[in-house]
Amino acid sequence: MNDPYTLHTLENGLRVVIEHMPDVNSAAAGFLSHTGARDEVPELAGVSHFLEHMCFKGTEKRDWHQISVDFDKLGSIYNAFTSADRTFYFGWVPMASVRDQIEVLADMMRPALPEADFATEKKVILEEIAMSKDSVDHVAFDFVLERIFEGHALGWPVLGYDNTVGDLTRDQLHAYHQERYAADNMTLIVAGNVDPGRIIAIAEELCGHWKPGQKKSERKVPEIRSGIANRVVDRFNQHVIVMSFPAPGANDPMHETAEAAASILGGGNSRFYWNIVQKGLSPSASCFRFDLADCGLTLLCAQTDADVDGVEKLADALRKEAHDICQNKVRPEEVQRVKNKRRTTLAVEGESPYHRLVQIMDDVDYRGAPRTVDQRLAAVEAVSVDSVAEFFQRYPIDGDGYLIGVGPREWPNCK
Amino acid sequence: MEKVTHETLPSGIDLACVEIPGRHAVAIEFRILAGTAHEPDDALGIARLIQETIDLGTEKYDGRALSDAFDEIGASHGGWVGREASAYTCLVLPEFLERAIELHAEFIRRPTFPDDKIEVAVELTRQEWTALQDDAHSLADKLIGTQAYGKYLGRHSLGEPESLDKIDRKHLLDHWSETYHAGRMQVTAAGAFDTQHLVDLLETHFGGFGATETAGREHFDVTFDAVRVHHNKELEQQQIAIAFPGAARTGEDYHVQRVMLGLLSGGMSSRLFTEVREKLGLVYWVSAWGECPRGSGMIFLGASTTPDRCDVTYRTLLREVDRLSEDLTKEELDRAVNGLVAKIETQGDITRARCGQLAEDLFHFHKPMDRKEKIAKLQAVRVDDIHSYLDAHPRDALSVVTLGPRVLEGSKVAETSSTGGPQS
Repeated sequence: MNDPYTLHTLENGLRVVIEHMPDVNSAAAGFLSHTGARDEVPELAGVSHFLEHMCFKGTEKRDWHQISVDFDKLGSIYNAFTSADRTFYFGWVPMASVRDQIEVLADMMRPALPEADFATEKKVILEEIAMSKDSVDHVAFDFVLERIFEGHALGWPVLGYDNTVGDLTRDQLHAYHQERYAADNMTLIVAGNVDPGRIIAIAEELCGHWKPGQKKSERKVPEIRSGIANRVVDRFNQHVIVMSFPAPGANDPMHETAEAAASILGGGNSRFYWNIVQKGLSPSASCFRFDLADCGLTLLCAQTDADVDGVEKLADALRKEAHDICQNKVRPEEVQRVKNKRRTTLAVEGESPYHRLVQIMDDVDYRGAPRTVDQRLAAVEAVSVDSVAEFFQRYPIDGDGYLIGVGPREWPNCK
Repeated sequence: MEKVTHETLPSGIDLACVEIPGRHAVAIEFRILAGTAHEPDDALGIARLIQETIDLGTEKYDGRALSDAFDEIGASHGGWVGREASAYTCLVLPEFLERAIELHAEFIRRPTFPDDKIEVAVELTRQEWTALQDDAHSLADKLIGTQAYGKYLGRHSLGEPESLDKIDRKHLLDHWSETYHAGRMQVTAAGAFDTQHLVDLLETHFGGFGATETAGREHFDVTFDAVRVHHNKELEQQQIAIAFPGAARTGEDYHVQRVMLGLLSGGMSSRLFTEVREKLGLVYWVSAWGECPRGSGMIFLGASTTPDRCDVTYRTLLREVDRLSEDLTKEELDRAVNGLVAKIETQGDITRARCGQLAEDLFHFHKPMDRKEKIAKLQAVRVDDIHSYLDAHPRDALSVVTLGPRVLEGSKVAETSSTGGPQS
């Protein structure tokens, strides 16, 4: 199969990654800034996310309304998100509009950060924080990270806190942008029915004048803590249980095995589904991975409205499944089922420029280069009973981890 | 070259499909025209309980074996229960289409509804009721649906706690026998397949599946309750939901309604986003959307905001709808239309989305609708059409729900149990 990728780096350090998809009628484009909550200092918690909002609030060329108008004129499906370690802005348009889409996005990457809009947007973000406090899942997840990564930037919510967001100034935002949105800390990704040479020319024209960064910042690998904690929140009805264990990061060779292991334990048609959900212990029990480039977690999660004894029973059921999968090899058919599902997912996602954009972003950010669908399939095919066993040997989930409860019950008992 | 086919098969199945050569997968939907509105009054929640248990035991497989069989072919499958239909959806590689249809036929036609699985499903549904109380947005959505649609269309798929406890295997078998048959089935498919082969497979596996006469196409009356009701709940944010009757999917002004919703909430330059969020900073989430049961339509406005901003947010939402009659420009209209058209084109690259569009066409129009015609209707909408639409759909009798700690001006306060679940 021909390599569908074109990789290029502008003189200022901006990377350009293009996937040519000749069979589609649309194209998706996005700017990745390699910056997120883990790059913040404590007093600026939430600045990465605030900056993402402010990139929609005006540039030298456009005010906020014009940015919105220009996206909507293109009929773009667009958005942005901020995570612990990246910020991504994207738009998906009919292929004839790809240049205009890149132009709007590139303009936004050099925001004017107008003072008046800064004050209004602060209110919006405080509403977003308030909204997250009404969700037991959000409250639980924030508490889990706060405890596991205590003392590290990964321990605070991407949204920041009421006080840090409330105290943030426009100048602090500006300084953060100067440092983190330098050309050599960013990547332009385009997937769709596009001419790679033309995309590179567009990137040169629109982004060639961006300045590279003055200094390179190093990310500190966090210490992953273990322990027991609970947060009693009376107004929720469901009690959420989370058991967390260290796991490999996204760029680790065991990454695909880790995904398969999580799926066997707590995906669809999994051990958790049949032995916990279908036993009536919890409407939702899952195993998922929180992975960054340099570290990761395996998280076992479930919730129940039961009393303390019922919560303990649910926790025992999670522990039993975790113990079984660590002590006994999984069955070959369990591995095969996961592979089969991944094969379909990859084939289908390979049809859509938007999905490819997101996959490429992940590959570029964590693995340095994009992988073709065939390469991704090969990684899936390499997963085996033995590799899953090796994974649980290296990253056991039946020993000391962090046990956390959030909700109306006083569980676990931390005394 | 795409090929669209529509035919009623000898089995009674209403089939619409589009062959899209070059795609790597096939999306298929089996829609049964039986939703919450069709439930017996004393068995609310039964449609979803059927769906939760229908694949947990068949004549040939137990639940786990059936799931394993789906996984063997790498199928991505699921389902949903709506007001007027239940559906089973599947995405599969083309070489496994036959097996996917065979497996669907196995559980749709031959479920055994094991007692122990029903018991668990009832318990899990009860727990989901509790979980719904922790999801303010979904809870507000449930409350406004009940209020705006009334007895039949306003039912929630989780049913009611008191009726759930009474549902047993006989109820499930009776309701399944009554509502699951080929004459109530609409099947749609999109992707890489041969239509005749698909027809043959469906006839092989669904031929003889109960009554062939078409059924389940009736309209349910909307009994709109124009009241403002507040539900007290300890929350950080107040949920606001507003409803008023809109156009049916088959109505002449449906395309005008689509554009109007695009103007209100289609993108970041839309009026609600611009005025409520970007200018005033009142909310993070604000939206307008439409729903179309068969033969009717409902417009919803929603937002969540901290309690002391509830009244101003409520007034601003309504003002923005009214303002469309006052200062809408052609440029703004064109932008909304272009946005809708572009999204139709963009999503055409997703096989699953194409199947979903066909399913909606079949449900409302009983035939596939031409995409170009849909686009032309959107492009034909003018500023005057929006004005006429707003005149024809007045906002002087609204159904309003607020959920949170602050009573909206002019609202009556609901009984404490009106959220239908445990109190928090």
